[in-house]
Amino acid sequence: MSSERILTVARAGREAVMWEMENDPSVFVLGEDVFTFGGVFGTADGLGEIFGPERILDTPISETGFIGLATGAAMAGMRPIVELAFIDFIGVCFNAIANLAAKHQYLSNGQVKIPMVLMLGAGGGYNNGAQHSQYLLSTLAHMPGMVIVAPSNAYDAKGLMHAAIRSDDFVVYVGQKKVAGIGLLGSPIKTSMAAVPDEPYTIPFGEARIVQEGTDITFVGVSWTVHQCIQAAERLEAQYGVSVEIIDPRTIVPLDREAIFKSVSKTGRLLVADEDYQDFGFTGEVIAGVVERDPTILRSPPVRVANPNVNIPFSRPMEQRVLPTADRIFEATVALLGL
Amino acid sequence: MTDVIVPNDMWDDDREGVIVSWLYLSGASVTEGEVLCEVMVEKAQSDLLSPASGILTIVEEADAIVSRGQVIGRVD
Repeated sequence: MSSERILTVARAGREAVMWEMENDPSVFVLGEDVFTFGGVFGTADGLGEIFGPERILDTPISETGFIGLATGAAMAGMRPIVELAFIDFIGVCFNAIANLAAKHQYLSNGQVKIPMVLMLGAGGGYNNGAQHSQYLLSTLAHMPGMVIVAPSNAYDAKGLMHAAIRSDDFVVYVGQKKVAGIGLLGSPIKTSMAAVPDEPYTIPFGEARIVQEGTDITFVGVSWTVHQCIQAAERLEAQYGVSVEIIDPRTIVPLDREAIFKSVSKTGRLLVADEDYQDFGFTGEVIAGVVERDPTILRSPPVRVANPNVNIPFSRPMEQRVLPTADRIFEATVALLGL
Repeated sequence: MTDVIVPNDMWDDDREGVIVSWLYLSGASVTEGEVLCEVMVEKAQSDLLSPASGILTIVEEADAIVSRGQVIGRVD
């Protein structure tokens, strides 16, 4: 195989799953439509043919049942990867996630490990309505007991998936639908595709990536909003000569607060873009992590660009208004800097 | 020189497809049998494999509408 290939996020993550399954018999995949359909968003595409129905398990529409099952399997030493296509439905299995998977390691004083990965499809922009478009990262990140990763590009998707499967902790792997690069949701975002080595590699949890360096303002994005930040930064540079530094935390829990603080120390300004609901969420958490350490490094008030706490409209133009798009990031920056 | 062609058996009627993404840039060296690009018709996506080993030249970029049998690149 050539090292010049450029993968989509979905393909890169799947490659890591495939490698781990080939090399570790305790790894298996379960979820709705994974064997026959390859996962609603292609996360298990082709795996059924390779590994068969005993390692790629189609489950009934019973999220509490199969996430509970996976937690039990993990406690017994297996390494399950659970596919849940829509993060919106964590509600129906919240007990299995929050009270079983996230707590048994603590409750057993570390005697029981939970080497389990929960893959979640998240995000909107496709007129899927209020119940199939949410991001909800902060709902999970609010609680202890789980690692949460949210890759923005193919290189990180593969490295974080290897790390997630090999981890003895419960890892929630959030795949942003718009970033996955699967055809039925439109052509892939160019900056989400990346050169990906053939061989396996891991990316450590809690280590942010500086997407681009700059001096006037720091943008922090998550997965899809990283790409919105990149597009907004290009326009700000071209039209106003604004130099933007962009930080991609890559993992939400643990969060690389140090990298964010260091960047804001340099730029003096902070804008956080997130697709989740704004109130009580990621954007406020990132800002708090900076100002509780030293509020004097900020030259301007911090800015949040997120869903303005409304249910996500089905109508396309209305949905576009609530998404944290490059336009909104651009306009918020222009207003902040008085350009 | 070998043309990269959308296979006639990729789908079974005269609908048009779309190139979702190329997994290589023009000028990359590719190996026969590995996935070169993804093509979608309706909502079904298929992998298009390289017909030869050599240097890839892309003729039809991502997002291009393509038909079965169409030349979308070549390998030299």
